Amino acid sequence: MDFNLTEEHKLIRANVREFCEKFVDPIAEQTDAEPKFPMETVKKLAEQDLLGIPYPTEYGGAGSDYLSYIIVIEELSRACATTGFTLEVHSSLASFPLFKFGTEEQKKKYLVPLCKGEMLGAFALTEPGAGTDAGAASTVAVKDGDHYVLNGSKIFISNAPVAGVIIAFALTDKSKGTKGLSAFIVPQGTPGLIIGKHLNKMGIRGSLTSEVLFKDCRVPAENLLGQENQGFKIAMMTLDGGRIGIAAQALGIAQAALDESIHYSKERVQFGKPIAALQAIQWMIANMATEIEASRFLTYKAAWNYDQGLPYSKEAAMAKLFASETAARQTNRAVQVHGGIGFIKGHKVERLYRDAKITEIYEGTSEVMRMVISGSVLR
Amino acid sequence: MLKTIACFKWVIDDADIRIDAGTRKLVLDRAGYKISAYDRNAIEEAVLLQEKHGGTVCAVTVAPSSAKACLKDALSRGPDNACYINDPSFADLAPAQTVSILAAGIKAGIEFDLIICGEGSGDLYTQQVGPALAETLGIPCITYVNKLTYSESDRRITAERKLEDGIEVVSAALPALVTILPDINTPRIPTLKQVLGAAKKPALNVTLDSLGPAGDPCLKTVGIQAAVMDRKKIRFAADAEGIRAAVGALLKEVAIA
Repeated sequence: MDFNLTEEHKLIRANVREFCEKFVDPIAEQTDAEPKFPMETVKKLAEQDLLGIPYPTEYGGAGSDYLSYIIVIEELSRACATTGFTLEVHSSLASFPLFKFGTEEQKKKYLVPLCKGEMLGAFALTEPGAGTDAGAASTVAVKDGDHYVLNGSKIFISNAPVAGVIIAFALTDKSKGTKGLSAFIVPQGTPGLIIGKHLNKMGIRGSLTSEVLFKDCRVPAENLLGQENQGFKIAMMTLDGGRIGIAAQALGIAQAALDESIHYSKERVQFGKPIAALQAIQWMIANMATEIEASRFLTYKAAWNYDQGLPYSKEAAMAKLFASETAARQTNRAVQVHGGIGFIKGHKVERLYRDAKITEIYEGTSEVMRMVISGSVLR
Repeated sequence: MLKTIACFKWVIDDADIRIDAGTRKLVLDRAGYKISAYDRNAIEEAVLLQEKHGGTVCAVTVAPSSAKACLKDALSRGPDNACYINDPSFADLAPAQTVSILAAGIKAGIEFDLIICGEGSGDLYTQQVGPALAETLGIPCITYVNKLTYSESDRRITAERKLEDGIEVVSAALPALVTILPDINTPRIPTLKQVLGAAKKPALNVTLDSLGPAGDPCLKTVGIQAAVMDRKKIRFAADAEGIRAAVGALLKEVAIA
């Protein structure tokens, strides 16, 4: 058993940390406050080979492993949760299904530019009436000659306004529920693809999240991803990997909350001494550090399983459940350590507190994670 | 073709150093290591020259045998190959020892036209290794360089030296050694592919047995303690009279002039 990261993993972390100090930290507050999508950062991430980390070099990726990818999301999210999440949606939700289920032609046409950072990707599964219950989708795809015609609406679609391609899910057989769902590759600019209302979020405010509407949207039949009616399996496998990414995002947010709390508690003087000398603060810091370490082990273990070719669905769910709830708890504690100043806009812990919440919700709520875990251990 | 050696030192990451409040000793048990800051500039400058003029870059270090991780870090920054001169005893070398080992290693088998060193290391900052290495190898040395150009036609380098009273421009025929300041360039952050590719680059392992003895240190470290800055915490009234009295007292102590 070996808990050490490899030399490469350590270098990747150090390099991303330096990248964040130079390019992400200085604009993180602005990204949240304006809010502003960090497009310049995305371009720089592409220059660093970070938009296709776990995918093979022949598809434009870096040919690295999933743990490297997870470390990068953790470090980016430590500086700016929006930036970490943008990479996660792009790599886990858009690139993964293409890599896993795409034909060679589809990979060349879409995966390569995604991995090279020539375009961003998005993933459109959720609908107003179909969140956790993906089978209740009402978006339909009807075959018409050598095209499918998509009609329906999606909601909470991150990266959609800036995506070059959207992996979209629609029912090809309405009578079958989840077993009638299919996945389609829908390039931006396809007639009938409409990017709807931009959603004003509580956290990760720099990330662009919107409605996506399909109005007689004609998608070539060659853009069917995988087989017809295979969509639910594609979506679930994609989300399994994505959950490790969200765990890493939560881990980065929680680590930032701890870093800020350690720094502040050593500087802030009350009763003639730094508040870090007070046991009330020390216990909060101790709990934060311990829960974050546990989150890290769960998250890295899930990534390790992925890299070893072992089953990782349960591990990913455990990592996401624990890391996201840890992030919510630790950012709450961090604001408490800071007192009044932590409640003021412009202070990092105020942003972290808002950014943490969504990690308990998207790509499977904590409740769904408990369903996945119990389903696996009670089997 | 320009053959450049970039020298680097693997030092404790100063961000990881903790101080024991009671004894003022440095607590290093959880400290990581990194390439000394100015040596990153040295590697970057060598790579920039290579990008402009072609040739080769070899990253050379003298380090304890436990420091092998330094090779991937250095090679990910662009050099073609590395030379790892190592021995378990190379933990706290005095500058003169580092110079004799480095010179022996270079003489034993690294061809070069130009050697680039950082002006000083991130830990000791003695600024001795560069100039003493040039002396040992019998080549000219240019220190405090913040701009460097190479002329292919006459195989000379021209360097701007940033001195206290101005900039001095000097030129030297190769082979030569320069020690550089950090404002000469901004080291690039290695890309992921560069990090992954570093393991595939050749690294020459040179041990002490093949070089002969390193000589005795002329410096001996008897102890390292953290500097403590005690504040005097003098209180004075914020009115004109109080400020005058405080400044008067400082002038008397010759604390200010």
